[in-house]
Amino acid sequence: MRRLEYEAYAALAEREGEGIVAEAVAKYGVQHAACIHRIGDLALGEMAVWVGVSSRHRAEAFAACRYIIDEVKHRVPIWKKEHYVDGDSGWVNCERCAQPGAHESHADQIVTPLAEGAHGHDHAHAHAAMTPQHALPDFSRQIALPEVGAAGQQRLRAGSVLVIGAGGLGVPALQYLAAAGVGRIGIVEGDVVEASNLHRQPLYGVADIGKSKAAVAAARLRELNPEATFAVHAERAGAGNLVDWLARYDVVVDCSDNFATKFTVNDAAVILGKPAVFASVYQYEGQLQVYLPREDWPCLRCLWPEAPRDGLVGNCAQAGVLGPVPAVLGAMQAMQALKILLGLPVEGAPALHVFDLLGMHWRTLHAARNPACDHSPRELQTDAIDPAALELAYPTLAAAFASGLTLVDIREPWERARDVPAGPIEWHLPLSAFLQGSTALPREGRYLIVCAHGVRSLALAGHLRALGYPAVYSLAGGLAAVSA
Amino acid sequence: MKKITLQYFAVLREQAGCSEERLETAAATPAELYEEVRARHGFTLPLSMLRVAVNEEFRDWSSPLESSDRVVFIPPVAGG
Ligand SMILES: [Zn+2]
Repeated sequence: MRRLEYEAYAALAEREGEGIVAEAVAKYGVQHAACIHRIGDLALGEMAVWVGVSSRHRAEAFAACRYIIDEVKHRVPIWKKEHYVDGDSGWVNCERCAQPGAHESHADQIVTPLAEGAHGHDHAHAHAAMTPQHALPDFSRQIALPEVGAAGQQRLRAGSVLVIGAGGLGVPALQYLAAAGVGRIGIVEGDVVEASNLHRQPLYGVADIGKSKAAVAAARLRELNPEATFAVHAERAGAGNLVDWLARYDVVVDCSDNFATKFTVNDAAVILGKPAVFASVYQYEGQLQVYLPREDWPCLRCLWPEAPRDGLVGNCAQAGVLGPVPAVLGAMQAMQALKILLGLPVEGAPALHVFDLLGMHWRTLHAARNPACDHSPRELQTDAIDPAALELAYPTLAAAFASGLTLVDIREPWERARDVPAGPIEWHLPLSAFLQGSTALPREGRYLIVCAHGVRSLALAGHLRALGYPAVYSLAGGLAAVSA
Repeated sequence: MKKITLQYFAVLREQAGCSEERLETAAATPAELYEEVRARHGFTLPLSMLRVAVNEEFRDWSSPLESSDRVVFIPPVAGG
């Protein structure tokens, strides 16, 4: 490029410019502000825009400067014509100037007085290289926000997020993080796409059924932002891999669907001192909590010192869910993660946010750091008992009876009344009795725990093993699997 | 007797059959209040697996209850 030419719709440009300067003075409480935009011919390297702010405090001066330059580029009707060495030329709407990657020098230019030179545009070179400009995402609508601006966009581009789970929460979280221009995103998800996922995970389609979610998600997200890097970890997150992975990212967003993973993510974030954004849903409800690596900030374990065992809270049958419920929570996770990357305040005080989307209530429950909770660097705890070693499968209930194990039916009385098993089950001890601390079951026996679908029985088997019962197993798939 | 607004979430809401109720109680603490409603609604979760918030702050189960307090019983959830 040889030179630049600026052309303005002068009357409107001056009116809009004066408005922007007045807004900046009012918004940031600075004493005076002024802005000059040159028009006509400029040689490369010449100053095009000058912004000056006088203020008692530096922070307000910088913020006002940034506001003025971002707004000028977005709102003031000034066009720039780039004249290339080969004699070609093209008009560039100045709103385009705010595109990251197209103009990387913004981040360094938030100074007082602020001068923006006629540096020319990288997308002019891209133009020369025959890459169509519309092939890249345009972030101007978010750069227009004073809290984002060109500098914020650059922070997003330099930022990285590890997303655990690419399901109901993970899909919208991933989509909005990628769409916002986050430069590097890791996707941890071991599952494949199933037909029953699509109603709440519309990133996938019927043609993807049976394929790795992490791989499909990465391919779709690349279409949203071809400039970003996507790392695919097509396996389950656990104590063995999380710390290594998370060490390479700025923020972790937990979109997993089980307590074991959530608490492992929590511990990895606490150990590494990384911000973490947690969410969970149950039917029409969602919970959202952010962990920040600060002395006074509670983690997940501060709130739930006894990490819940999967299957012990909730019902055996898979809980139903409407797609928008995890979508709302996943989008909120993306919002919190973007605020963290942008360096914006995440929230006034640490809290668990509880949403009821059926009744449309949102409660903010303030939580405090639990001094008994250990936030010091340490090894990650691993689950000593492999759940697979706790499950026994039988083709029929008669085969289960013939196994020699003592059967313990832990369904609640109302469930048992509805579905009486055909055979002599020795013990009827509802799960709720165990949870209230019942010690009726003698420790020395060999037991096969049964429930409706095998979720609660597996959880209780793990719980009883941890309490010192040496030979407790869970009937795989529950009574539903042997009722035929 | 204290007038309390009580809110339930997740499996507690399912078992109670409502998300909110107003009641008059002699319970001195959230723990006593939970025992009272647990018997009435047949809640299966023990207190140790829940948290309680009073007037939008997480509290100890043994903290004192006052009239017109808003109490939330909340279990952890993990769905994603
Ligand atoms: Zn903690």
